[in-house]
Parts: sequence; C-alpha cells; structure tokens
Amino acid sequence: MSGLLAFVAANRAEMLVRLGEHVVLVVLSTAIAAAVGIPLGILAARRASLAKPIVGLANLAQTIPSLALFGFLIPLPFIGGIGTRTALVALTLYAVLPILRGTITGIHGVPAAVVECAVAMGLTPRQVLRRVEWPLALPSIVSGLRIAVVIGVGTATIASAIGAGGLGDYIFRGLAMVDGTVILAGALPAALLAMAADGVLALAGRVADARRRTATATVSLIAIAVIAVAATVWAARAAERSDIIIGSKNFTEQVILGELLAQTIERETKLSVERRLNLGGTAIAHQALLSGGIDAYVEYSGTSLTAIFNQPAATDADLVFNQVRERYAAIGITALPRLGFNNTFSILVRRADAERLGLKTISDLNRVKEWRAGFGYEFLERPDGFKGLAAAYGLQFANQPRVMDLNLIYRAVASQEIDVTAGDATSGLIEALDLVALDDDRRYFPVYDAVPVARAAVLLQHPGVVAALRHLEGAISADEMQRMNYAVDGEKRTPAEVVRAFLDTIESFYGQPR
Amino acid sequence: MTIPAVAFHEVSASRGGRGVLHGVSLAIGARETVALVGRSGSGKTTLLRLVNRLLEPDAGKVVVDDRDVREWDPIALRRRTGYVIQDAGLFPHMIVAANIATIPSLLGWDHARIRARVDELLALVGLEPGEFRERWPDELSGGQRQRVSLARALAVDPPLLLMDEPFGALDPITKSELHTEFKRVQAAMHRAVILVTHDIGEAMQLADRVAVLHEGRIIACAPGAELQQSSDPRVASLVGR
Repeated sequence: MSGLLAFVAANRAEMLVRLGEHVVLVVLSTAIAAAVGIPLGILAARRASLAKPIVGLANLAQTIPSLALFGFLIPLPFIGGIGTRTALVALTLYAVLPILRGTITGIHGVPAAVVECAVAMGLTPRQVLRRVEWPLALPSIVSGLRIAVVIGVGTATIASAIGAGGLGDYIFRGLAMVDGTVILAGALPAALLAMAADGVLALAGRVADARRRTATATVSLIAIAVIAVAATVWAARAAERSDIIIGSKNFTEQVILGELLAQTIERETKLSVERRLNLGGTAIAHQALLSGGIDAYVEYSGTSLTAIFNQPAATDADLVFNQVRERYAAIGITALPRLGFNNTFSILVRRADAERLGLKTISDLNRVKEWRAGFGYEFLERPDGFKGLAAAYGLQFANQPRVMDLNLIYRAVASQEIDVTAGDATSGLIEALDLVALDDDRRYFPVYDAVPVARAAVLLQHPGVVAALRHLEGAISADEMQRMNYAVDGEKRTPAEVVRAFLDTIESFYGQPR
Repeated sequence: MTIPAVAFHEVSASRGGRGVLHGVSLAIGARETVALVGRSGSGKTTLLRLVNRLLEPDAGKVVVDDRDVREWDPIALRRRTGYVIQDAGLFPHMIVAANIATIPSLLGWDHARIRARVDELLALVGLEPGEFRERWPDELSGGQRQRVSLARALAVDPPLLLMDEPFGALDPITKSELHTEFKRVQAAMHRAVILVTHDIGEAMQLADRVAVLHEGRIIACAPGAELQQSSDPRVASLVGR
C-alpha cells in the first residue's frame, strides 16, 4: 500500500492525464450510446416488430470480447485505426445495450391506463412522450446509463492496448513489469471512478424524479457537472496532438525502447513528444504506424520480415535488415540504423532444473519427455515460432502448449505452472526470476535486430529527429539491454529513469542537456 | 329535433380480427346521460372508444356535434371530450393540481387562471383544495382518485364526457357517495355523458336512458323504468327480474 502511495506521489501529473483520458473515453462513449440507444429504445418499445432485431444486434455487439472487437475495428476505414477514435467506437457499441434495455423496460413499464388517459385527453404523440412516458421511464433509463458507465469504466482499461491511453496503461505496464503496485495504480482509480460515476448518476436519477428532488441534490449535481465538463475539456486539451508520437509494444523492453526514442528526441530537439506505449502487439503497432496513430517505434528485423512482410525467416543480420528496409521504404516507412542488439527468442527453464538435469542446449530438452510448455500468443502463431522450433529439434511435450499472456510466461515458469517457455533473450526477468536460457545449438531462431522505424513523412517534416536518432546507432549491446530490463523488472525502477540514466552515459549527448 | 352530441350510424367494429360491434345505431342528446350496459365482451367499451377515436370503426360512422369523427382533428376532438376510466389513469409523477391542469397548461392558460380553475374543480368534486392540491396520486384513496380523475376530465369544461366503469373498483359506500356527487355535478352543468357500466342499478340511477348491448348489438334502449317492463328475456335477466 505504501508502495502504491509512493507511486501515486511520484506520478501524479501523468496519472491525472490518464484519469482524464479515461473519463473522456467513458463520458463520450456513454453520451454517444445514449444519443443512439435512447431513441432506438423508444422506437423498439413502440414497435414490437423492430424490438427483436434491434435488441438482437445490441446483444451481439455485447458478446464480442473487447480485444477481438478492437482487432476487428483496426483495419476499418474512418472508424478504425488505433487510438481514441477506435476505442470510442468499441466502447459505444458496448454501452448501447444496457441503455437500450433500460429505455425499453422504462417505456413498457408506464401503466397502459396512464398512457390511454394521456392520449384520450388530447395530448399529441410528442406530448405523451415528453410529459408522460419520458418522466416515468427516466428512472429505468438512468439505471441503464449507470450499468453502461460502470461497464465502460472497466472496458476502457483495455483501450490502452490500442493506444487510447487511460488508466489501462498502468494495468498493462504493471503486467509487463510483473509489478502489482503499477497494476493497482490503474485498477484502483478505475474502480473508484466506476463507483463515483455510479454515485453521480444515482444523484442525477434522484434529481430527475420530481418527488425525491431536493435543492441540495440539484445544486450538488450541477456543481459536479460543471467540474466534470471543465475536467473533460482540460483533459481533451491535454490530449491534443504533439509534434511526434512514439509508440511501443506491451512488454518491458519495448516500453524502455519507446522511452529511449522519446527522451532522445526531447534531448536533441525542441519538439513535443507524446508516448503511446503498451500497444497490444506487432500488428497493432504496425497498423498504428501506417495510419499515423504513432510516428515511430522500435521493431525487430526478424519480426518485420516474418510477421509483417510474410517472408521466410533468415539468420543473416545484414541481409534481413536490408530486405526489411526496402520493404518498409515501399510503404512510406523509414528503417533507421539498428540499435546494436539482437533480441532473439530464448528457450527458458528454471535454473534449478537446468542444473539438476544438466540442460545446456535446446536439444537437451529431448531428454525430458514429460515437460509442460507454455507460450505467448504470438510465438504459437508465428512461422518462426513454436511449430518450426518443434520440427527443427523434434521436440515433444506432455500436452499441447498452454497459451498465455507474454507478460505472464516468465512468472508461470518460475511458479512451476509450466516448465519451459520461449522468452526474449534480453528480458530482465530471466535474471530476476532465476531462469536460464538454453543454447540454440541448431541455429533455429532468426535474427531480431532492434530497428527504430518511423513514418518517412514525419522525418522529412522534422529532420532533427533523424539526426537525434542516429546517435543511438549501435549504442545498446544485448547486455546493456538486459541490464535495463532488469533495472525495471527486477529493481522496480521506472523506464523513464532507467533510460535517463542510460542516455547520460552516451558520450555524444554530453554538453547537450535538455 | 336538436343536433345530438354523439350519433352512431350502423357502426361495426372489430378487435383483433374478431367482430365486436354489428351495425349499432344510437344518438345521445346534448344534455343527456346515456348508460351502456351489458355483459363483459358485449362491446360497451369498444363503442365508447369510437367516440374519441381511440378506435376506428370498420363500417358505419360516428358523428360528434354534426361532424363525422374522421373529419375531426383527433387532438381537437379529444380536448373537448372528457374521459374517465376505472383505473383513474392519474399521472403518478404529477401532484393533483398538475394532473388537473394538464390540458389548461397545454392551452397556455396563465397561472392565476389555472390555479382558480383547479380549486373550483376540486371543490366541485367534493375535495378540499387546500388539503388535496399538493397531494401525489398514490397518497389518495380509490374514491379520491376517481374524483380527481373526474375533475381532470372536466378541466376545460368539455361538452361531452365519456366514462368507462368510473365507479367499478370502489367499495359500496364510496360508490354511493360518488353517485350523489356525479348527479350534483351533472345537475349543475348538464352535458352529454356516455357511461359504460355493468352495474344495472347504477345505470338506472344515473342515466336518462339505458342502452343494453348484447353480443355487439343494442337490444334495448329506454329510460330505466321502461326497461324494467321489457319482455325480452335477455334484458329481464340483466335487470334482475
């Protein structure tokens, strides 16, 4: 708990921005969903023939898992891409159903005799709706809104995976760093926000009800609304586009490299740099770069070749880099000089097991048949991943390998849930969790040189960025990368401070403080 | 003869594809109270709802104030036609005064006039304005709700009043009180009233004429005293002879 307080104290400015982003996401998506869901609900309540298809569609949207929905939306024009817009579309889709249901239930709940009298008295259909049905349905509509908001606050944490920011940044970052404090820094404010939003809407419901309205309730609601609008405007302004947006995928090394690009540009130029770290995977990061959601991130040459350009894996570092650079150039992306280390996959086991069984190479794994394997989603799917590995070494395991989040696999090995996995050669967790990497004795894994990639148009616009990033050419050895990863994962230092300390050691930056 | 307030000409109507009324003809005078009696499903309520166009006839026509109801703007027609139902149908989110003032405020009456009218109507239906003006509908007894409902129906002094089992759900004592109240109101204002009821005693006590509906047809229409002399066994069974 004290760790959490210290984290909050150290990061309060950024946390406010993330909280603001979160509130903007939820408020906007709920507002759009209400603008769509309430009229649709009224329509569905009026015409039974429309109710089924409308509610059916909303139900369907609700059943799509959120990450899958984000995945569907990314390639779509206008509403797709990465960032706030896509997140808003997905969150709105989720919010529509409860609002729709609340509206239909509310309108159906108005006693038939009351509506009959209103019509018979000579109220026009519009007057019946406004003066009778609407006020009587309002409590039910408000409870629909309350459900939508609480769901929205929870779902918006996932929006971080597509670069929309919000409190989910801390949750994903915490998962990447295997740091409960950072996870709590996102989860706890999100839970408090959900409760606060629910309370505010309960108050709104009370003010909307003529019989329970009090002056105090009305005044407090107006005060809260003014504060919320002001905070939203402030947060929206804070979210204005910076000169350069740096991205990263969602594991520790990527966050450090994203921070590295960002701080280098900040040291060398006067440009404003925004960070959209923790994007949910290679495909999302690449799409983000194409669509302008981010301007640069660090990719690995082997990953580009196989996962982005669908080419067979290769082991010659220069050949791979040149091939990738040409293919990137054809789609308007510049591959900058390599950073200097090769983050290939390593096959990891517990040190205790390795010593007890005398395991040194991947081939040695064949001596043990009963082992349980678990891998990240990407490794199971990639052409240079599990299938090729199993074929190259003739590996057999006790069961089908388990699929788990990349951030959890190291911990899963350490806690004996699985016995072997594939991790990053440079991961700081290898040392932190007392794991060892087995030697790739058959040279199966291709080369994965770290390469900063950036939108060519942005580099033309800001030539200073190219000059700045050239300072990083060959600047990081595999050992240095692992040390930085360990500093974050093992010593619990923040990526920003680790990168700052590293950049201070690079000679070419001397004499040019920010 | 003066122009009738309401006239049905050979009216047929159906509900849910089933014929409910078959060629009904009936005229109600401008200052007359006519009761519609009959068993459940005989078509009383359907006939009533044809007057203010809550329902439309399949054949024949309904004439209000010498004009076919299809030529009336339904909103204008309904605003000059009071409507009271068994369920009272008060707006639960409005106090008594606001319920009664619904149509006057839609018509843009000023506050003073609305307030004076609300108090006048509450007094007319036997409720002390100071005590009842600010009450919520769920703070009223069944009889009080019916009184407010009647006051609301009379708000803009409509020349025609439609009542569907208005006293049906009340206990005998309250019912008899309201019968007295109704007769007093009717004596003071004398408008055309169509009263649907299955209580033949109520019909004979309150109405100038009683129309007996049987399976969608009017089989008798006469002042109560005459009805008791009827030789039709269906009427006789209804009047309890």
